[in-house]
Amino acid sequence: MIGQSHFYGQVSDFSHIDFKKADSIALSLSSERLTNLPELSLKLTEHLDTDVERFRAIYRWVCDNIANDYSLYLKNSRKRQRYKDDSLKFKAWNTKFRQIIFKNLLKRERTICTGYAYLVKTLSDLANIDCEIVQGYGRVSTTHIDKLNLPNHSWNAVKLNDKWYLCDPTWASGIPNPETNRFKFAYNNGFFLTNPKLFAVNHFPVDSTWWLLNDTIPTFDQFLSAPVIYGNAYKHLEFVDQPRQMHHDIKKHQSLDLTTTVKANLNKEDLYLLVDNGIEPKKVNLSSINIEGKQLKFSHTFDKIGFYDVHLYIKNDLIATYTVDVAQN
Amino acid sequence: MTVSLAVNKNTGIMKTQVLTQKSSISTLSLLTLLMLLFTLNTAFGQTNTDTPTTNERVIKGLISDENGPLKDVNVRKKGARNGVVTNEKGEFTFPEKLKTGDVLLISFIGFETQEYIIGTETTFVSLVLTEAMIDMIGALDANTPYRSKRKN
Repeated sequence: MIGQSHFYGQVSDFSHIDFKKADSIALSLSSERLTNLPELSLKLTEHLDTDVERFRAIYRWVCDNIANDYSLYLKNSRKRQRYKDDSLKFKAWNTKFRQIIFKNLLKRERTICTGYAYLVKTLSDLANIDCEIVQGYGRVSTTHIDKLNLPNHSWNAVKLNDKWYLCDPTWASGIPNPETNRFKFAYNNGFFLTNPKLFAVNHFPVDSTWWLLNDTIPTFDQFLSAPVIYGNAYKHLEFVDQPRQMHHDIKKHQSLDLTTTVKANLNKEDLYLLVDNGIEPKKVNLSSINIEGKQLKFSHTFDKIGFYDVHLYIKNDLIATYTVDVAQN
Repeated sequence: MTVSLAVNKNTGIMKTQVLTQKSSISTLSLLTLLMLLFTLNTAFGQTNTDTPTTNERVIKGLISDENGPLKDVNVRKKGARNGVVTNEKGEFTFPEKLKTGDVLLISFIGFETQEYIIGTETTFVSLVLTEAMIDMIGALDANTPYRSKRKN
């Protein structure tokens, strides 16, 4: 059963497997359409020997071929907010929108989160791989957390070798441009069979079965108070150890202490902070970084009062944001 | 009926003559009996019949949803790759003959995939597909750096 902690896993469980073959199969099928899902599932999986590789081919195909449609997302968000207190209208809108989604998916290979998760699940089902759609809350830098009252994101859980894993095909796929509604494919491998502890920082499932955590699960308030993390956090990090909350009230001359666990070894120069006082961001090179294997400990002291957005960068990739309110002693 | 035997004096071959009287009832009875026997023999003794039992036959069908016929639905033989798609009227004729026990996989994006086992009497498959009941939601990932609201 899912409740048992030793059945949760992450991608390092498969470090002995090279996904090159699965990825190249997915690439070779990029001109396939969604008109025959059983055939597509078979083509993606028939020449692969393990379930993880078969799932990988399916997942990569979806990530690399299905675009995120910003205008559909916006339209749906507005309607859901509008009808959230009218269950009949809400349901009617969802039924209507679902049909729009599937028509769009079929015709244009464009969709929103649930469409991605649906495809990954359906193609997996057809290949006899246990895969579920997980509905919940996703929090990003642009999320209005004071208005986050409805589930707004979908992702997947998949069972491989009797263990459950998490993945997010939507966010792995790329970045939509709100202004042009153009989508840029940019595959992020960090969302494939992710460490559930990292996933939990900005994914909150409605069904608590899908945390896949051994520790206590966050409350919704703790989730909303967590640091903002970005797609590249999943690229570089195993986990954000400290701090667990976004906002900090400190006194002048006190410091913000951070601990992160990275996936690959870094040089000290790779890590820096951008401290924004609201007028001008300043790059701060970290004076002391303590590196213990893959765990990095560093801090920054605030010598002037003010309210700061503190952005953590690794190799020029934006990783996380904290806010610090520095007061007089 | 009278039977007479005669010997041809020239050839020595015995000739049997069966002289029948015009007895309609008895002849009919005999014929009916013979025909009945023949029919029964045909019915039970044969291994090659045209009636649907395990044997291959052409399968047709109609796939719809709650609103009516569905076109472009995939109808595929489970475990194989051959199949067909429904036309505008939701109709299909499976391109190869199927036999009892064969399983059809009926699928279309957005609907629950269904399996249909060909029964001994099946010649026409009529199915109503149900929509995949999912809430549609979507949050975008964002690379824009977070900006606190400030009272400047």
